[in-house]
Amino acid sequence: MKRLLARRPELRLAGGLFIVLLLLNLILNPVRFAPANLGVTLGLAAPLIIAAIASMPPILGGRGGIDISVAPLMGLVNVVIVRVLVERAGMTSPFEIVPIVLLIGLASGVLNGFLATILRIQPIVATLGTYLLYAGLTLTISPSPTGTAPAWLKSLAGTGSILPILAVMAIWLLIKRLPIHEHLMSVGSDDRAAFTAGIPVTRVRFLSYVAAGLFGAVGGLSLTGLIGSADPNVANSMTLLAISAVALGGVSLAGGKGGLVAAALGAIDIFLLQSVLTYFNVSTFLLQMAYGAALTVAVALNSERLAQLLSRGRRA
Amino acid sequence: MLEARGVQLEEAARPIDLAVARGEIVGLAGLEGHGQEAFIETLCGLHRPVAGTVTIRTDDGDDAPVISLDGAVRLGVAYLPRDRRGTGILPGQSVFDNFAIAALPRHATLGVVRRRGLHQRLREFRERLSMVYDRPDAPIGTLSGGNQQKVLLARWLACEPRVMLLNDPTRGVDLGTRMKLYDTFRELARLEGMPLVVLSTEIEEILQLCDRVLVFRERAVSRELGRDELAMDRVIAAMFGQGAAA
Repeated sequence: MKRLLARRPELRLAGGLFIVLLLLNLILNPVRFAPANLGVTLGLAAPLIIAAIASMPPILGGRGGIDISVAPLMGLVNVVIVRVLVERAGMTSPFEIVPIVLLIGLASGVLNGFLATILRIQPIVATLGTYLLYAGLTLTISPSPTGTAPAWLKSLAGTGSILPILAVMAIWLLIKRLPIHEHLMSVGSDDRAAFTAGIPVTRVRFLSYVAAGLFGAVGGLSLTGLIGSADPNVANSMTLLAISAVALGGVSLAGGKGGLVAAALGAIDIFLLQSVLTYFNVSTFLLQMAYGAALTVAVALNSERLAQLLSRGRRA
Repeated sequence: MLEARGVQLEEAARPIDLAVARGEIVGLAGLEGHGQEAFIETLCGLHRPVAGTVTIRTDDGDDAPVISLDGAVRLGVAYLPRDRRGTGILPGQSVFDNFAIAALPRHATLGVVRRRGLHQRLREFRERLSMVYDRPDAPIGTLSGGNQQKVLLARWLACEPRVMLLNDPTRGVDLGTRMKLYDTFRELARLEGMPLVVLSTEIEEILQLCDRVLVFRERAVSRELGRDELAMDRVIAAMFGQGAAA
């Protein structure tokens, strides 16, 4: 752990916050965080963790790369599973549902990547477009909460809650061993230098959106497991939380710095903060403010500018 | 190995032909903005000329056209850019990442990168180019300009290129590094037969390194000087357009 922190200084803040918040939670809420309930607790946190991980690759690619359609994609996957695949097509087997869901994720990633990297529409505008598209489509398919998810999916909220996270981690570990990971980091670090080093910058960024779509689809499975039915209103609120988690974890929004551990840690921090505040019965409005404050403070503390100002102050 | 045929940098400019043979070092000189920079960028596919083609001789003896930079890199062209800070180094990344980035695909088994092999290569280049750095994971920004340049050179040498295009390779580096780079360039050309094209803003450098030099004026080659004609005053005269008279 110590060595990891020494090598990855951007993790320090999120790591410290994690330890403090975990201790607070263990004191305030020992039952929820007892080893026997860990599966259920992780199930509560899993959709946000995966949403944060899914939001990360386009951000790593730099130059304003961002995918804000991850959470609505998860909502879309949720209603498609329950209302279309289960109710209309009568599918129940994971071997039918999971591949279709992953294909939806890939298609969404290809669409976002096409808009943001090939047509070069500002990523935030391009994915805002798909955000609205998915949110509308979700409401069209299921205007109100209804239906039930298959039993194997519901188990993803309990004992099996680690599975989707493990799946995403496995895919990311594989990506990390391929040239594309270093390519993405170098494109995020300086896209002109990366281009001059012969890296196909557009293709690398395009694939980062495809990865976001794929991870988002896995997040949709996890979300469906958690709510156990089709609910068109749950996912959208996660959009900004996921981006906040990525920033809180120390992933640089300018690109080129960060990774899966950072994004996941940021998401876990937000979940733990939420858990502490709900224990005190804080109103949801205050909850929002707490997220905002935590995010702003974290990003400010992670900024190199602040470090510069502080070191200058010390010298003077 | 590398051939440019009828390359026109602008409408009505005289077309440029250049064929670089194995083991040859060709210099490009000229006053700032007279086309030598556009020409070297054309050779590596960064710049599209108005007319003409650039081709590389591949292993099976075909001439493959150069149309884009990443295509050129795949064909075995290495291009060392002039603006080290802007388009050379990857700021914030480590020495190792900066070194490894271009050679990753060729150090992969079934797509999986063999890091150990790349670390081994970096150690070899550290020795060969006498690079100075603390650890391979030190940030590139902690190195001196000369050592950053050596890392960039090592990045391309690790790709085992067929041709190297060097755009002002000794800009802003100290004298010791400069001599080391000259030795390395000569070694590459003489021992490995690698063709080199060197653009330089310093005539001294061209005189020391090159077998022949193309002097640019008004976005075309105004004069080509061979080994036995290479002298400071002739290059300068050609730069100012007095080539024909001299």
